[in-house]
Parts: sequence; structure tokens; C-alpha cells
Amino acid sequence: MLFLEISRVIKFAVQSFFRNIWLSVVTVFIIVLSLVSISILLTSNILTQHVLSVLEEKTEVYIDLTKEATTEQAQVLVSELNKLPAIKEALFITPEQTLENFKKRHQDDPLIIESLDSLEENPFTGSIKIKTHDISDFPVILNELSKKDYSRFLEIEDKEFTDAKLLITKITEYSKKIQNAWTIISSIFVIISILVVYNTIQINIYTQREEIGIMKLVGASNSFVRSPFLIVGMVYSLIAVVILVIISYPLLVVLQPYVDSFFQEYSLNLVEAFAENFIKVIGTELLIATIITVSSSYLATRKYLHV
Amino acid sequence: MIKLKGISKFYKPNIYALKDINLDIAPGEFISIVGQSGTGKTTLIRLVIAEEKPTEGQIVIGGWDITGIQTREIPFLRRQIGVVFQDFKLLKKKTVFENVAFALESCGTPKNKIINIIPQVLKIVGLEEKIDRYPTQLSGGEQQRVVIARSLVHKPRLLVADEPTGNLDSINTKEIIDLLKRINELGTTVVLVTHNREVVNNLRKRVITLDNGQIIGDQSKGRYLL
Repeated sequence: MLFLEISRVIKFAVQSFFRNIWLSVVTVFIIVLSLVSISILLTSNILTQHVLSVLEEKTEVYIDLTKEATTEQAQVLVSELNKLPAIKEALFITPEQTLENFKKRHQDDPLIIESLDSLEENPFTGSIKIKTHDISDFPVILNELSKKDYSRFLEIEDKEFTDAKLLITKITEYSKKIQNAWTIISSIFVIISILVVYNTIQINIYTQREEIGIMKLVGASNSFVRSPFLIVGMVYSLIAVVILVIISYPLLVVLQPYVDSFFQEYSLNLVEAFAENFIKVIGTELLIATIITVSSSYLATRKYLHV
Repeated sequence: MIKLKGISKFYKPNIYALKDINLDIAPGEFISIVGQSGTGKTTLIRLVIAEEKPTEGQIVIGGWDITGIQTREIPFLRRQIGVVFQDFKLLKKKTVFENVAFALESCGTPKNKIINIIPQVLKIVGLEEKIDRYPTQLSGGEQQRVVIARSLVHKPRLLVADEPTGNLDSINTKEIIDLLKRINELGTTVVLVTHNREVVNNLRKRVITLDNGQIIGDQSKGRYLL
């Protein structure tokens, strides 16, 4: 019985969809625009999160050891630091490694290399490389290290951390601005979609006023009268999401070079990311589209069906 | 079958459509409600099928007090009342069969039942031969008979016909009235709203006369008074 009613409701919904086919096409197009706009917002959010996480992953602070710190003391310090929950990894870098790294970094600057070679002994002390789980933990860790007994072995200078922090803050601010702008654009599209769906359903109701009148007259249940219009709303969402999926892949392929050139080493493979998060992304889009269409359909049926 | 106790209906600011209507219609009765245009006949019908609610008074249909009926309960009431209007309210793109089937489909009737019921009701109204015709291929009287067939699919205990012959010539009018009489003889209570003097006078059944929203006459074998 329930299956029978569902199949009839779907039949009426499909009739309603095709009876005003061009109106349905326009409605679906507007919903697609909203979804594209929301997708851009989501993509920008994913990109920012990706860049920030790569940046945080790459951010490491080198804390120089004082001259009086021996290798044994440094290693004890490293094992102590590794026990701190905020620290992801602490690594002892010997003076020799530090010198080598320094030379590598400045291999294109003969003056620095010559100056170094002219020195009789290694000017570098050892250092400890620290990576954290979260970049915002750095000040806390540095503060902690300054207080402890072993602070006399460390030359704490937080310039490196400050630079990284500044970059992250800048990116965050920039992406927030972009996201705010897209939130406004998406909201406008969502509002337009709600209005368009509402009016489409109103016109559908008007077109089918004879059938509706008869249904009510012969005792069709209120849900039977209302449901086809809610289902039409869902059909709009479903078609819009399918179109979005179809256009997403070529759109992402076209966008990829621009994203690569903008984000460079921090770039993200959009198609891959889309494929990895397919269910999540499509689920979110479908949910948003369904909320838009079903709520507007519901409001329209409440106002115009009187059931 | 129908009990109306002190029914009044007024529209803002202060227009009375019906004033203190008291009416008792027994099961199996054939009753005509007559009166000039704008006397409240259609309002009375709209109250009976819960299309509107009374401002004052109580309406009981088949023992069910529908005065404060909930929106969700209205479909159950409508399945017990067959309704026929002056404008045929047929779907032009559907055949006779499909038009009648639509009423059953809308109420969740299974297909095999629909196939059984439709020939029966079409036989009652004499349209079993025209099952595949479209409304535009039928005369006015035949179209109204399809509407009557549709109103019978739920085997209603009450049939309300609001000016069913308003758009018909005298021959078709007679056919429709004869059909209503036949349905009444099968046990269905019939409430006929009309301002057709000839119809009422020929019926020789109970007549309620309305004027200015009030009952001014109730005769058991009445004639058109106005």
C-alpha cells in the first residue's frame, strides 16, 4: 500500500516536472549556479586548509645550543623534549651537520663559503630541530623551555617561529577575506534559488490546480497532495547535483594550472582531492540543494495548497 | 445523516451568508435546497464538505461532529461524501476511465480494485460503452454523469450535488435528475442544490427554501416557492 502510494506520488511528481519543463530547466540551472558557488567556497576552504597544514608541517624551529652544552647533554635534552606532548619531533643537529646545512643553503654565495672556509674552527654550535603538532603551540613550548633548568644550554630566539607565524596569519587573513566574499555570493545565490524554487512550485501548483482540486474533493490525503511537489523539489536537487558532478571534473582540470601557479609548492591536486572526498562533497552539496528545494517547496505548498 | 444546529456563517466585516440554520436530514432522504443566487446554498454545501467552517453552531455528519474538524481529518470525511458541481471538473487529457480512476488512485486504491470498481460505477451512470472517450467527445450530460460516477467510487452514504444541471439542457437535466433519483433509491442520501423550478416541482421530494441566508420553508413534498 505504501509502495503503491509512493509510486503514484512519484508519477505525479514526474508529470509535474515535465509539464513545466522549461521552468524546471531554469530552476535546475539556478540551483546549479548556487551549488557551483558553494563548491568554490568549499574548494577555497579545502585549499586554505591544505596550504596551512603543509606550511605547519614544514615549519620547524632550530634552537641553538650554547657553547657549554655537550653532545650528551644535548641528547638528554632531546629525549626530554620528545616527551612533551605538544612536540611532534625533536632532533639533535650536530655542529658539523649545522655547518654542512649552512653551506648547502648558501652554496650560491661564494663570499660566505670563502669566509667560512677561512675560519679555523666550526663557528656553529649544535642545535635542536623542533616540530610541533600545531604551530600555535610554539610560544608555549618556547616559554616552557626558557623556564626549565636546561635553558642555560639553549639560545632561544623565536625569529624563525615569528616569520612562520606571520606567513600563516597572512594566509589565514587572506583566505578569510576570500571566503567572506564567497559566503556573501553563495548566500545571494541560495536566496535566489529559494525564491526561484518557491515560484516554480507555485506555478506547478497553479498548472495542476484542476488535479489538486479533484484530489482534495475526492478525499486524497494531505500528504498525497503535497508530496509530489516536495519530490519535484528533490528531483531538482538531484539533477542539479548530477550536473555539478559532470561539470566539476573538466572545471577542476581547467582550474588546476592556475591553482598550481598561485600556490606553487603548496598546491593541491584538485581532481585527486575531489575524487578522495567525492562522497563527502556530493553529500554536502546534495544536502544543501535538498534543504533549499524542499524547504521552499514546503513553504509554497503550505501557502498555496491549503493542506 | 446531517444535523445542522444553529449554523451561522459570516464574513468580515459583517456579511451574513447563513443565519441560524437548523436542519435535520435523515439517512436515505432526497432533499432539494432551493433559493435565489446569493442566498447561501453553496455556502451550506461548503460547510457540509468542510471546505469552510461555521462561525457559529454545530455540524454533525453521520454521527461525526465536524464543526471543528482538523485539516488532516478532512480527507476521511470527503471519502464519505460524493460531491458534484455545476462545472464538471473533469481532466480533459484523461479518458472517462482515467478520470474516474484518478479519484481512486489519489486515495491509494490498488489497481485491481480500480479495475473492478470503474465498470460498476460507469454502469450505474450508463457510460460503460464510453469508457475510452475523452471529456471533449462527450455531451454535457455525459460529462456530468462521469462526475457522478467519480463521486460514487467510494460508495458514499451522502451525495451532494451543487447545481448539477446548471449547464445542461432540459433533456440532459432530466437524465441527471433521474440518475440522482436512482442513486437515492440505492440507499444514498442525496442533497441537491438547485434553482431549477421545474426540477424541484417534478421531484416531489423534500424541499428546503433559503432566502437571505435563512430557511424560510421546509416542505416534505415541496414545490419551488420563490
